[in-house]
Amino acid sequence: MTSTTVTTFYGAVNNGAFWHWPTLLHFCLVALAGGVALLVAYRALTSERFGWRLPALSVALIALDMIVLWAESLARWRLTHVYLFLSIRPASAIWWGAWGLAGSAVLGLLLAFGWGPRRLWGALLVVTSTMALLYPGLALAANSARPLWTPLLLAFMPVTGLLLAWGLALLFRQRDLRPAVGVLALASGLLGGLYLVGLATGDLAAREGLHHLWSEGGPWFVAALAAMVLAPTLLRRYPAAAALLVVAGAVLARTLLVEIGAYMPPLL
Amino acid sequence: MARYAMAIDLSACVGCAACAVACKLENEVPPGVSRLWIRLEESGTFPDLSLQYRPEQCMQCADPPCVPVCPTGASHINEDGIVLVDAETCIACGACIAACPYGARYFDERGFVGKCTFCEHRLAEGRVPACVETCPTLCRSFGDLDDPDSDVSRAIRAAQRVDVLKPEQGTHPKLVYLNAPARFGLGREGMAR
Repeated sequence: MTSTTVTTFYGAVNNGAFWHWPTLLHFCLVALAGGVALLVAYRALTSERFGWRLPALSVALIALDMIVLWAESLARWRLTHVYLFLSIRPASAIWWGAWGLAGSAVLGLLLAFGWGPRRLWGALLVVTSTMALLYPGLALAANSARPLWTPLLLAFMPVTGLLLAWGLALLFRQRDLRPAVGVLALASGLLGGLYLVGLATGDLAAREGLHHLWSEGGPWFVAALAAMVLAPTLLRRYPAAAALLVVAGAVLARTLLVEIGAYMPPLL
Repeated sequence: MARYAMAIDLSACVGCAACAVACKLENEVPPGVSRLWIRLEESGTFPDLSLQYRPEQCMQCADPPCVPVCPTGASHINEDGIVLVDAETCIACGACIAACPYGARYFDERGFVGKCTFCEHRLAEGRVPACVETCPTLCRSFGDLDDPDSDVSRAIRAAQRVDVLKPEQGTHPKLVYLNAPARFGLGREGMAR
């Protein structure tokens, strides 16, 4: 007779999924919003011809992201989100994200309407959009009890976020972004590979996490990394196909890491 | 100011779940979630079998990872060292739920995050938490860690073994387990003392 361990509970344990599909969507939308805002900042600082469409798009993406978060929130009718801006919480990634998105929205509006010093707004927008891009990785890596949310996500999330936004921009004739998209795609693939190696060579919890990732969607994660690595080879001849590959890869990789990454090893 | 803590003597716990029921009623915990639950673990091979009970809840960490991640300050530690959520300022973002290594927090359908409060409202009236008062085997001890004569201090001093869950997380729980079966302990969790 083999030795087994059977664990049951009296009373529900709160170990189910706590972030659902709207949050997964948010983690992609915030990347789009931050990435497009950074592109606006780049254009504001470097271009002589600067239109209203791109900054308006960045504001629209931020608004869409806020609507998704609001619709998902259990506190949507309590208006408590105002406390995000009435307190100073630098240890909280979400606090940084909130200020990054709010600042990007204000600066995007100023740039869209052409009010005030464009280059100053552009410089400030570099800061706020970078905050928005960095915050998902910060929010995930802060949870040390969840082995799949490793510190490497501090780099992986902003890089794939920017790749997602600028890859999509390639589809809209922002051709000068091709070299940057190529670099970002390779960096994403490299960071994704390092992430997997880090789990495989990590402690017991990390290896259990890798097993969980693999059983729940590991092949899809590898496929997402492969798509991002393959895309640069197509950039010159088939830019649209390359753009689609990086967007699909970035969305898939980020979604899997947020959804499956919430895994926490069971208490014995 | 006190430094409230709780100790659960696993050698005395019979897994009756009276504490879980008392908690649910006292704190009006919604269906489908819990502030306190009982883990039942059967292991081994006949005739060498083991059945262990372990009540689990918020560990009331001295260094709680759920507090710094809160973007509004709703998650906080009060002057008595109890980790609480201010429902008025909570935005139910779930950052604290993600950060808790013990799965002790949940979304309350009323729009905030819920968790064990050591029955703060009862402490204000000079009473002990509902789970402590209800336990028929008196396996729970509660009190001020800074008071050497408190129930919890005396129980910890008298225990042969003291464990905490996930010590590697560095959270320094103020809920400790006493006299876990020496052969099995608390599984992979190491000894606190």
